[in-house]
Amino acid sequence: MPNLLHTPASLRDLDDTGHQAWNDRVVAICEPYFTDHPQFLDPLAEQMTGATAAPVTWLAFPARLLLGVTTDEQRWRRADSNRSEQDEYCEWAVQRDPDGLITQITFTTEVPEYWKLIAQHDPGKLLELYRDLVDPVCTEPELFRDGVYVPGNVRNRSTEGRPAHMIQTTNTLGAAVDLVARATVLRERADGRPIVDQQSLVTCSKLGNRFRHSDPQIAAAINNQAATGAQVSFQDPVGLYIDRIITTGMACPDGADPAEFWKVERGDAERAVRASYSVPADRGYRVGDITLAGRPIMFGAQLADRVHVRVTALTKPAGFTPQRFPCIA
Amino acid sequence: MDLNADRSGAYDVGFRENEERTAMATAASNTTQQDQTSCKVFRRLDPAALTPDSIHRLVVGEDTSLRVLTQTEATVELGDPFATMLLLRGTFPRTAGEVLAAFEQLTGTDDPPKGPMFFLVGDGSQIPVTPETVDLARNMRFLVTLGNGPEGADVLFSSFQPEEGNVELMAWDRATGGFNYYQTVGESSAWVFAGNSRHALVEPSEGEGPFESHPSGNFIMKELRSPWINWHSPAAPIMPSAFSDDDPLRNHPWVAGKEPSGAITLETSVARPGIERWTRARFAAIVANGGQINRPERIIRQILTSPAINLISSHNVSANAASSDTVELPQTFFVDSSLTDIAGLAPPPPFAVPGEIYTQSLQTFDVKLTDGAKFVQPGDTHFAFVVPERAFEDQAVLAEAARVGLVTLRLAACLLMVDFPNPIFSTRRRGLLAHVPSSATLADGAGAFSDAFADAIVAAATEPGTPERDFADRWTLKDGWKESFDAELAAYFTAVTDRLTTQAGFDDYFRLAESRRDRVRTMPIAESPLLFASTNIPPTPRTMTANGTVQEG
Repeated sequence: MPNLLHTPASLRDLDDTGHQAWNDRVVAICEPYFTDHPQFLDPLAEQMTGATAAPVTWLAFPARLLLGVTTDEQRWRRADSNRSEQDEYCEWAVQRDPDGLITQITFTTEVPEYWKLIAQHDPGKLLELYRDLVDPVCTEPELFRDGVYVPGNVRNRSTEGRPAHMIQTTNTLGAAVDLVARATVLRERADGRPIVDQQSLVTCSKLGNRFRHSDPQIAAAINNQAATGAQVSFQDPVGLYIDRIITTGMACPDGADPAEFWKVERGDAERAVRASYSVPADRGYRVGDITLAGRPIMFGAQLADRVHVRVTALTKPAGFTPQRFPCIA
Repeated sequence: MDLNADRSGAYDVGFRENEERTAMATAASNTTQQDQTSCKVFRRLDPAALTPDSIHRLVVGEDTSLRVLTQTEATVELGDPFATMLLLRGTFPRTAGEVLAAFEQLTGTDDPPKGPMFFLVGDGSQIPVTPETVDLARNMRFLVTLGNGPEGADVLFSSFQPEEGNVELMAWDRATGGFNYYQTVGESSAWVFAGNSRHALVEPSEGEGPFESHPSGNFIMKELRSPWINWHSPAAPIMPSAFSDDDPLRNHPWVAGKEPSGAITLETSVARPGIERWTRARFAAIVANGGQINRPERIIRQILTSPAINLISSHNVSANAASSDTVELPQTFFVDSSLTDIAGLAPPPPFAVPGEIYTQSLQTFDVKLTDGAKFVQPGDTHFAFVVPERAFEDQAVLAEAARVGLVTLRLAACLLMVDFPNPIFSTRRRGLLAHVPSSATLADGAGAFSDAFADAIVAAATEPGTPERDFADRWTLKDGWKESFDAELAAYFTAVTDRLTTQAGFDDYFRLAESRRDRVRTMPIAESPLLFASTNIPPTPRTMTANGTVQEG
């Protein structure tokens, strides 16, 4: 095999041909930026050899929803109401028992581009994954319309049940690449002062939503590196990853360590793209019986408050003397 | 009597008077009376007066002088992992770095607290180092936590420089509950035990020493909620550009290894669980003591007054305000979130002001960020409109008081609805403290305290316009209280929302905010002029009214 970009988390859903197709897909996403953004490089470019990994992490809970609320329950309820609210490169769905108590919360950072490619390359594999990860009774007609895969299909558009992959319109690899590439451009205010703070940078360069956790933080970290004249790229395997969950403040009815119930389902501990939280049946209680800061877990968003998401950039010192540009009108 | 006032109780196992005072040292004599009774007394201690490699005790108010604890005394009094795993085994680190190294050298059989997590905070940490700002005192400091379990951290210590002395350390006492407070002085290897959380709640140590700034004995994270203006966080990361090129901290492992999500993790994994842990322990001790509370006023004070505060701000970066359609404002500036979170009333709407109105107010009031010396930067703090809000530690007390049955939700709501437009620093609510019964008893999760307290207030409600009458009018509503209170609040929220569309209305709120900031400036937690922006607004008390207007004086 030639030197190819890995699949997200080095997942082995694709054969060699599919792997080549994924490599081509990622290159196709990145390539348009290379000319106008000389500090943004192909992850496999020779110039990035020996580069330093620069992880950027943020919370899965959408920061936008922190605005204008006084109570946690208000924001949790809203975040759990619709996948379109979950815009921090991580989405989740919740399973409940007949009593309404949560039994499982599943988080995913898998980008739709990867699943579209599986659908294109190996529809049988796609159905197998849905049956394995989402529901054993999934059918092909539920996933395809006129022979084309529908990411937000009936099996993968709800906040209830088990998600397959991300579907929120900005939770894409393309959006992440666009953000990182364009964040290499330095900006200045009308009076010539450099723009370095996150919100100003995001607003000035139109890099997404300034009130998110993810966009401003990624943009500022990349921009800070670019200002030093460094080259930047993504670490291979390119993808968004579930970094970890913090279980401090959680208490199980039997005194068990609440961290025991976090399970990586796709990827590994270092590069997880799908993870879930559920209590084994022999414990005799459910996720909804576990408390967090003294309150029972009633929303998936309560855990999203504690799930960290990560993208890892590569940075390498280089001799660029970047110019600063005014804000995009 | 409150749980901690009775020192004969099991809760006070380490607090028996010990006649075997074997060593005495005196605090520096060159101090004022105020310095003697505040945290400053520790800063004034002469390192030469301390015995190296020893545990000293100076619980201000209780101890008249600094003294060395014997091994026996220390073993009885100190049950936290810092004492039991290091000090009592003869390990006396001099610096924060040595504290961490000492814990890391413990073997697995010791079951040492795991970690560490590093957090970074600095006043004005969002101001890059430039030739004009190079001398700015940003007061960058570390917080290191260890033993980060389900109930929060077991050991927390802070320091300006990992390789320097003057370390402040808190550690959870596994034997008696509460945090033990320690401090080093200069480069001395002596450690001073300054008290346990429970000392914050009893005379004569109440409000003294570390409990001047930790009034309930809790860990303090002033900016507890998003966007955490001074802490390293995703919303406001402390970039390398906040350190000068020659600052040894710029590339220090504790900076490089700081918790990536910073303040988010600190809030959710350390601060809130730690505050709740102590609050639970405090009330559990009451229940264990037969439910007898001999000084309920100590608890009610945290509901009716503002012994502590947290800081909250807009999520908008102030520098962007002019180009923003709106600047979001913290709801807790207008109303106490306990009314929603604990009493179950309807939540308020989002509050926001047009960006141009906010920007005009900055000009009208000559708002600027200054360190009081050379640094002057026109405009507000990094995030707009930093204001105090009711402290989480006080909300936790109210929630726990309700949970154990000391306070009913109806009583809590009726108390907090008195002068509700002023969620903190309310003189009117404070006046109700005069009617708190002198004792209370809890049995099986309930008690007669709520009715007794309410009856006392109602009995005093003879004059119209008094806080007692306000309370009584609402208390008599009985079953319909929620709907009635929701309607009152809804009318107030509408009035506020209307006034936020006008320059005059927001200018009034800006003046009100400044008067609340003035109160905070007098509190021990106000350690830097960079905490708030300065203005030309005269320092006059101001209060909000239920029709959304602001009264001067």
